[in-house]
Amino acid sequence: MSTEPDAAGATGEGTVGYGPDDGVLVIENLTKRFGGLTAVDDLSFAVREREILGFIGPNGAGKSTTFNCVTGRYPPTSGTVWYRGEDVTGESAHEMVNSGLARTFQEFRPLHDRTVVENVAIGLVPDRLFSLAGLRGETGQRAASICRRVGLGDRLELTPDELPHAGLLRLELGRALATDPDMLLVDEPFAGLSGPEVESVSGLLRELRDEGLTLAVVDHNMRGLLSLIDRAVVINFGAKIAEGAPEEIRQDPEVQRAYLGGDL
Amino acid sequence: MSDDTLGEDAAVEQSSPATGRSLPARYVAGLIGLALLAVLPVPSLLGVESVTLFGTVTITFGLSSYQLLQVAGAFYFAMFAMSWDVVSGYTGQISFGHGFFFALGGYTSALLNLTYGVAPLAAIPAGVAVAALGGVVIGVPALRLRGPYLSLVTLVAPQVLLSVFILFSGTFGGELGLSSPDNLLGVGLGNPVLVYYIAFALFVAILAVLLAVTRSSAGAVFTAIREDEDAVAAAGLNPAKFKTFAFVLSAAVGGLAGAVLVHTPVGNPQPSQLLATQVSIEVIIAAILGGMGTIVGAAIGGLIVYLLPEYLNTVEYVVPVLDAPVSEIDFLLFAVIALVLLFVMPGGVLRAALRIARDRLSDRRGEGVAADGGRRARTPVEQVRERWRSAVERTLGRGPDRERRTTDGRRSDGRRADDRDANRGHENGGDTDEH
Repeated sequence: MSTEPDAAGATGEGTVGYGPDDGVLVIENLTKRFGGLTAVDDLSFAVREREILGFIGPNGAGKSTTFNCVTGRYPPTSGTVWYRGEDVTGESAHEMVNSGLARTFQEFRPLHDRTVVENVAIGLVPDRLFSLAGLRGETGQRAASICRRVGLGDRLELTPDELPHAGLLRLELGRALATDPDMLLVDEPFAGLSGPEVESVSGLLRELRDEGLTLAVVDHNMRGLLSLIDRAVVINFGAKIAEGAPEEIRQDPEVQRAYLGGDL
Repeated sequence: MSDDTLGEDAAVEQSSPATGRSLPARYVAGLIGLALLAVLPVPSLLGVESVTLFGTVTITFGLSSYQLLQVAGAFYFAMFAMSWDVVSGYTGQISFGHGFFFALGGYTSALLNLTYGVAPLAAIPAGVAVAALGGVVIGVPALRLRGPYLSLVTLVAPQVLLSVFILFSGTFGGELGLSSPDNLLGVGLGNPVLVYYIAFALFVAILAVLLAVTRSSAGAVFTAIREDEDAVAAAGLNPAKFKTFAFVLSAAVGGLAGAVLVHTPVGNPQPSQLLATQVSIEVIIAAILGGMGTIVGAAIGGLIVYLLPEYLNTVEYVVPVLDAPVSEIDFLLFAVIALVLLFVMPGGVLRAALRIARDRLSDRRGEGVAADGGRRARTPVEQVRERWRSAVERTLGRGPDRERRTTDGRRSDGRRADDRDANRGHENGGDTDEH
């Protein structure tokens, strides 16, 4: 991919010209207003093929809103979202998933009424009313292998309520992976995880990238995240304030000001 | 008999590793039940034709012609309950007006027969088609509504239809309904055994179709919608498509039962039998009592709710304190029994029976009590209540996030603020965006 988004983006002015082919996922001039509140303000950035992008910002910076506009939870007020060169602005959540962009929920949204493996299996169900792919048999085996992939192989028959916090995160990842995505948006994976758990989840995300997945990881906390990501986009008050490699981000005065010596 | 899409089965299964063996037991029990229903009229047949094939034990089950017709009527009511269950029990979109679909099916078929002389066999499919169309008319706009608002729409729809029937009484017969159309295949009161078997065959057919749908992957999606629609969308599945499908399937099945019912001696195209609010409500009671979200439970509940008052009506025992014969307070007793059952077994009769059976089995195998630390899985009724509460809270601007933010210490850092505002903005929809 080209390098000009990097150079231009660091100024924080959202008027940089991004084209549909500047990355797997390209967001241009995205704005989302709720009444008088501007949650996302003319935000532009691109996610490149097979990178792990950190999408960072303090609390309330508009990360989740950006995320929700991209994944079809609600339409942006203005701006464009491209995925794999196609304009997908305002597409509904399931359409985004079917075009290859899966997500996890920050607040964890397992289906409490079924087991871990059945939760993952729901991601394998084709979006058709009549399908011969039963939830038993082959689908069950594929679901079980995805569970093993995300480290839940020994807990297939537990219910989500019996899983610890880290297990629920793995379940979110498993269900997203079951939709066979090219790109995964991971919302706040490290919140509430212990040090070793952060390490092990980071390892899993790196493995997924090595298998060909592109990842965008949202977090307000840079600890743990900076060692995982290849590149970061930092936003505050809905607008981009910095973009670049983890080291540059750490040194950036504006980022330091935004965090006010917080957890950098 | 029912597959383990039942919520709590998952939890129970861990406690008994031998579930693989206990599963067939449920199927066997179900098949025995169906077989008993199938041979129910045999003694009557034997009595009439005095043939001695295997009339040994079953003599005691001998039913009068009147009782056979009652059970036939119960089959149709059970079909109504099953049709409600496939949309409301499974996807959690509670319909308070399923009579709308029964009436569309029944009236269409009856009118075609009475007015144009169309044979019942041809008129019934037309009734099914009109009912399915009604499912589209109600179901598609309902996609925009969540929780109790959808239910309000379904509550009003039958009232609109009833008003139309009354307004055009010349055509629809008003509140009294239409006269009886021709009987299906000419099977009338003179042949109660055939009336019974037609009802039984349709009952089994609908049971089979609905079991097939709900035990396929579509059924798993239905129950997932009941649990969390956003999670379903995040799995790449279009919730609207599956909800519409459930609605139309349910309407078609309800319409079929209504259409066939009017062409039998046990039912007529009358609002009191198809369209009245009481019909819609009794169908809900039946499905919840039997076991919402299981189809089989709705079938059992339908039979119980229809036959129990009929049975109580024949009891001559006089209740001491009230000094009233049971037959006079049959509906009161029925309502009290229904209430008690709902309190004792909130998941329905079927779930309770399955759980008791499992506990017995695991006791006999010497397995300890289940140590499944997790909370008890929620019943579908509880899931629906949760949906309704969050829908109302969102409308009133009291998002559940606010509460969580203040009670959850780890996240009391305001991180949820953007989320909450986002949620509220979402619910208020596009209109706030424009200001």
